[in-house]
Amino acid sequence: METEMGFSRFALFLFTIALLSSPVLSDLVLSKVDRRIYLTSQIVRYTATLRVENEGSELVSEVLLAFPELQAKNLAYLTVSVNEGKGKQKVSTDDLPIEVVSPKNMPPAVSFYSVTLPKGLAPGDSLTLDVMAVFTHALQPFPEKITQADIQLVVFQDSAYYLSPYAVKVQSLSVKLPEARIESYTKLENTKVHGSEIKYGPHEDLPAFSYSPIGIHFESNQPFSNAQEVEREIEISHWGNVQITEHYKLIHGGAQSKGEFSRLDFQARPNVRGASAIRYLVATLPPRAHSVYYRDEIGNISTSHLWSDSKKTELLIEPRYPMFGGWRTAFTIGYGLPLQDFLFQSEGKRFLNITLSSPMVELVIDKLIVKVVLPEGSKDISVSTPFPVKQWQETKISHLDIDGRPVVVLEKTNVVPEHNKYFQVYYKFNKLSMLREPLMLISGFFFLFVACIVYTRADISISKSSASYLAKQQWEEVQAAIQQVESIINRCLATHDKLEASLRDLSRTGDVQACKAARKTADGLLKDLSKELKPLLAFLQSSPSASQILPKVEDLVAKEKELQERVMTKHSTVVDAYERKSAGKDIENRVALQQQKITALKQEVDDLMEYIDEI
Amino acid sequence: MMAVLIALVASSPTKGWSGRSLSLLDPTYASKYIPIIASVSEHQPPTWPSYFMDINVLAFLVPAGIIACFSPLSDASSFVVLYIVTSVYFSGVMVRLMLVLAPAACILSGIALSQAFDVLARSIKFQLPGFPTNSEVDAGDSNPITVEAKNNAPKTDKTGEPSKDRPSRKNKKKGKEQAERPSVKGKPEKKRLLVLPMGASILALLLLVLLSAFYVVHSVWAAAEAYSAPSIVLTSYSHDGLHVFDDFREAYAWLSHNTDVDHKVASWWDYGYQTTAMANRTVIVDNNTWNNTHIATVGTAMSSPEKAAWEIFNSLDVKYVLVVFGGLVGYPSDDINKFLWMVRIGGGVFPHIKEPDYLVNSFL
Repeated sequence: METEMGFSRFALFLFTIALLSSPVLSDLVLSKVDRRIYLTSQIVRYTATLRVENEGSELVSEVLLAFPELQAKNLAYLTVSVNEGKGKQKVSTDDLPIEVVSPKNMPPAVSFYSVTLPKGLAPGDSLTLDVMAVFTHALQPFPEKITQADIQLVVFQDSAYYLSPYAVKVQSLSVKLPEARIESYTKLENTKVHGSEIKYGPHEDLPAFSYSPIGIHFESNQPFSNAQEVEREIEISHWGNVQITEHYKLIHGGAQSKGEFSRLDFQARPNVRGASAIRYLVATLPPRAHSVYYRDEIGNISTSHLWSDSKKTELLIEPRYPMFGGWRTAFTIGYGLPLQDFLFQSEGKRFLNITLSSPMVELVIDKLIVKVVLPEGSKDISVSTPFPVKQWQETKISHLDIDGRPVVVLEKTNVVPEHNKYFQVYYKFNKLSMLREPLMLISGFFFLFVACIVYTRADISISKSSASYLAKQQWEEVQAAIQQVESIINRCLATHDKLEASLRDLSRTGDVQACKAARKTADGLLKDLSKELKPLLAFLQSSPSASQILPKVEDLVAKEKELQERVMTKHSTVVDAYERKSAGKDIENRVALQQQKITALKQEVDDLMEYIDEI
Repeated sequence: MMAVLIALVASSPTKGWSGRSLSLLDPTYASKYIPIIASVSEHQPPTWPSYFMDINVLAFLVPAGIIACFSPLSDASSFVVLYIVTSVYFSGVMVRLMLVLAPAACILSGIALSQAFDVLARSIKFQLPGFPTNSEVDAGDSNPITVEAKNNAPKTDKTGEPSKDRPSRKNKKKGKEQAERPSVKGKPEKKRLLVLPMGASILALLLLVLLSAFYVVHSVWAAAEAYSAPSIVLTSYSHDGLHVFDDFREAYAWLSHNTDVDHKVASWWDYGYQTTAMANRTVIVDNNTWNNTHIATVGTAMSSPEKAAWEIFNSLDVKYVLVVFGGLVGYPSDDINKFLWMVRIGGGVFPHIKEPDYLVNSFL
């Protein structure tokens, strides 16, 4: 406190000296100045209503605003607008252009901003200007280190008199504090305290550059959430989605925490122990935001809530631990938005209209980087922002990219929620380029399949007279021949079955003639089949690659022949016996031996067929 | 060189064999000499319920499988029997070796179940009304089984008919059937096969299927609840839904963001790997419990009064000490629960830490 007051006194000294030597600027006079300073959060908001009168004889086109340099360093946002309403109705118009100027012969340690009036102020006329300024890091925590049980007290310093290069006729100042608990404040005459509001003034007839330092020491339990770096990536996909990923590095910007942190005390009596801790952050996302995730390096953080309605989506996130002074954390938030809410067309160009800064409520950002990733094939990229930012272009290589996607990078320091305005990125994109990605995938798969087809059907043998090729061909011929042999043998067996069936019929009906007829047809068939068999056997004998299978085939043929003979003999014996009308038992005895042999042969034939089948 | 090595190995009483594997043969070895091995809960002998929890229904199918392996006893089946017997012994010594028992139990109970299904399905198949007969089948592939089944189920229908018919038609037919019989009997594989009554076998089949279904349900549940619960995020179900305790990750995130990169963290060895991975800080001891003396140093520091502990931690250049306390939410396996093991392990290397000093009644 001592050093702060000391410096302010020095500044006052400078100003009084400067006062004596300051020139009289153009003949503007501020007839009424009403200032309101809101200290209700960590961000200091300042509004001033200036009534400017032109008491000179020339048209004045600019008005100078002055801020002490220390304050100007913390200035994040400044707008001035003309207030056109009369009396109680105040209507604000567009913001006026503001420039930083440094006019000559001015007192040091003061920053000047020049506001250009649209129509100029005629002599004798008066104008009402609304000035809105936002300051960050303007509240100094004092004491600088507190324990968990202490309350957080901060100091705010300003001047009771409006610092201006023009004389002020009537002015007043009102300071709004977050709570009714004020530790101390500078008391001038005309100072009144109403609850949590301090009123200084009204003061009358003060010359230009009058400055009276005041300091207010008060309790503020507002969360001093300060993001040291925020990286916001906006990726556009023409298939219907805008994906936003935000990385935050947060620090608690209030009084540093000393001593220990007792979770038990914090949970049991949160308002007494740890009232100034950051417990949660609220982000206001656009409506129809989907797939919201909140995670950090380690994994998903489950302490979050999401509410959505038709106007906005609200996300409340709690960091992994409550943040006390000086503590840091880092996390990532991501969400998707429907494309049609943000991408529009005008004059052959498409443009993206989206908010620039983080959606978090009351967050002070020291460095904000916004990256807009446009789809590959975008050309003629231009950006229009409501206030100056540093910008450059990069390339990002992502899914199915050949060259990479163009990225527009915007950077700004000292960002407050008032900066969260809409900005536009214009680019040209050929509609046909949209087909590039699906065509790439389709053609990739297509060529893969064609290659497989070609590979399986192509004959990639080097020459048609190579030994293995010929051998394969011969083997195939042998196999075909064997198959034919098998079918012949099967037909022989079928004929045997017919003969057996005829025998059964005979036992049932006693019709010998039919049996004999069946015998005759069977005979004929068998003869034909053996005729067919001969050339096949000859071929097999001649072909060299059938050498290992040939013995089996010959065996099979021989066995089948034997079987044939036995069946024939059995048949004839039975028929003879029937003709001679001998007893059943007799018949059986006679054919018993034959029958045994027949069944054994049948079995062997079957085995051989199976064996040949398997080769 | 080789001789020196052999001499060294031969000179120790257990021929150079020590540690976890020796505690398999002598379960008391670890608790006497190396308390850190004894402190790991997976090295304790299992309780009887843990067998049922892990292998469930297989516990009584395994003996059936062993019996099934003995008939016939081949090389493969005797290997399986030896495998199950040794794995049952070793899993009884150390519960972690239940992993070794599991495949053997699965194999044997698979054998038992398949034999059971074989018998039951066969019984049903032979007693089905539409079972095809062998009256038109060649002698070559007639089923010896069907012949026997017909002998055993005389009360059924058409399948019985041809056998009855045959003796009566012997005089008309030319003895083919009789010739068939001797050839049938001449076949090498003729077994007496068991067939149970139809109703009982259907019921038994359904019950076995139901048993297997319950086994599947239990296995899925055990895998989901008992073996998949991550111990880093704890959940509890209260009257207002699921409550998640993410305290471990909160502590590691705090360490990661709010301490210097070269600050060292001392904790019990259970949290070593997690601290290294998530908090990205150097730890003194971690889950690779390789250096017993180092762990004993940390254990001694945890069990000493503040001044002595401060000196030990100072000598280890420790900035932060991580201790887990579960009293506020009722978490049972916190550092207070493990405290006696810290005492035992520390006392194993530093004799001034004596376990009875930390117990109220020394005979506990």
